[in-house]
Amino acid sequence: MLTTELIGAWFSVFLTLGIISYLYDDNPFYKAAEHIFVGVSAGYWVSLFFWTQVQPNLFGRLWPRLTEGTEYGFFHRLWYGIYNILGSINSGIFPENGIEGHPEIRMIYLIPLILGIFMLLRLVPKVGWLARWAIAYIVGMAAGLRFYGFLNSDVMEQIKSTTINFSGDWIVLINGIIMVVGTLTGLLYFFFSKEHTGVFGKLSKIGIYFLMISFGASFGFAVMGRISLLIGRFDDLIKYSGREYHNATFWLLALMILLLFVWAFTGKKEQDKATA
Amino acid sequence: MKKFIDIIIKLGSVDRRYIFVLVGLSVLIPLIYPLEIPIRPTQQSQDVFNAIDALPPNSKVLVSFEYGPSTKPEIHPMSMALLRQLFGKGFKVYATALWPDGIFMSNDAFAIMETEFPLEYGVDYVNLGFKPGNEAVVKGIASDIRTLYTTDARLNQISNIPMMEGINDVSDFDFVFSLSAGYPGTKEWVQYACDPHNIPMSTGCTSIQVTEVLPYVANGQVKGILAGMPGAAEYEKLINHPGKATGRMAAQSFAHLVIVAFIIFGNITYFVQRKREQKK
Repeated sequence: MLTTELIGAWFSVFLTLGIISYLYDDNPFYKAAEHIFVGVSAGYWVSLFFWTQVQPNLFGRLWPRLTEGTEYGFFHRLWYGIYNILGSINSGIFPENGIEGHPEIRMIYLIPLILGIFMLLRLVPKVGWLARWAIAYIVGMAAGLRFYGFLNSDVMEQIKSTTINFSGDWIVLINGIIMVVGTLTGLLYFFFSKEHTGVFGKLSKIGIYFLMISFGASFGFAVMGRISLLIGRFDDLIKYSGREYHNATFWLLALMILLLFVWAFTGKKEQDKATA
Repeated sequence: MKKFIDIIIKLGSVDRRYIFVLVGLSVLIPLIYPLEIPIRPTQQSQDVFNAIDALPPNSKVLVSFEYGPSTKPEIHPMSMALLRQLFGKGFKVYATALWPDGIFMSNDAFAIMETEFPLEYGVDYVNLGFKPGNEAVVKGIASDIRTLYTTDARLNQISNIPMMEGINDVSDFDFVFSLSAGYPGTKEWVQYACDPHNIPMSTGCTSIQVTEVLPYVANGQVKGILAGMPGAAEYEKLINHPGKATGRMAAQSFAHLVIVAFIIFGNITYFVQRKREQKK
């Protein structure tokens, strides 16, 4: 029986094999899988952000649900008059009587609404410069927000951790010394106001060795991560090769190999014609 | 000898696709024919276990799901092992997601947990769901959770959920655990919530993130770390419940052996070739 799970399994196998086929060569299966991935991701993110952020948190705060039986003043009626016009365009986004979730109107949210509109004005060349205001706000806010976090957790706390603990045993002491030497020489390597010669050059060279060890560790972990992902995909391919999924892996693999063979053969022929 | 060196040099310039096939087979064969390999927990995994094990009864633990299907093989086994330990000890679990796909991962994990433990939603665990905003969400949880979340993932009003009583910000939790696959993730929890409010936290993250998080672990800002799939397998061993990660460790180990062999071989070829060119 054709179920969503079965269709999903076949589609998953097709995309996995399509991506893996790149290891052979850049081919139509890979391109199809790549384009589907990019398109679906973009659509998914836009839809998700709109329905989890813009609609409930922005529109929802500007036009919260009206309480039944309450008498509202002129401002409210005017404000919800605008809302009703928007509602007549799309009642899914702007349902009747306001959006559920927030108790009162928060006019401060007009600022992000305006900045959001400014951002979209990038698409209109004449007034595109207005987008800079929105970008300036984002950059300023992000810098301010991150400044404290980095200063506290990554600078102050990390400096503290490089101090040598003389009260511990000799292993702790040696570890502390290695940490201090590694940190200082690593930092010296990135000091470019002085030529890296003499004692300074030797110290910065020690720094390079520490950095290389660190990059080696990062590379090792990166390989481990990639292999884990490969295991995940292979696990699914093995699962979907079963009878309950109508041997999706085997069928699609055979079909792909056959079509890739034809594609490679015809491609080679065309190439030969072009060079002839 | 010359012939032997010629062979080595020739093998050094072998088509990379043969290497891909060999690495692929080294992963595939142990998955089809599983092998049991011994797993010994590292100190970092043990530290995570000890930190959670030492929590008092009825502790409130915030678990953040910051991963998606692409990193599921590495992180999901950790989630399962961690939730088994938390529910096994009767702790209250509050789930949140900084990644949109995180909510699917948490739903999947809780669905399995419900088959293993007698859990009641809203009493034993709550899923607050995904909120976009990256570090702003972490900061929101740190300062005022009720402004950020008015409803949970099932659209229940937060004020109607029994276990949310008395929960206003991150300092109302006894422990934070970040299941992280990148940004936003462990780093943001350390910087914006746990360091400023002095809340103990731990993490289970993808291998690629480990070197980024290790300085926090070394300094005690993060209590231990579950590093990639081996970390998950070690944790399964610690809670005495072998799962998917344990079964996949043979494939991981074999693939590593093949890659290491190729790295060594590549280096030998490089030096042999360089020596020959110098002689010329």
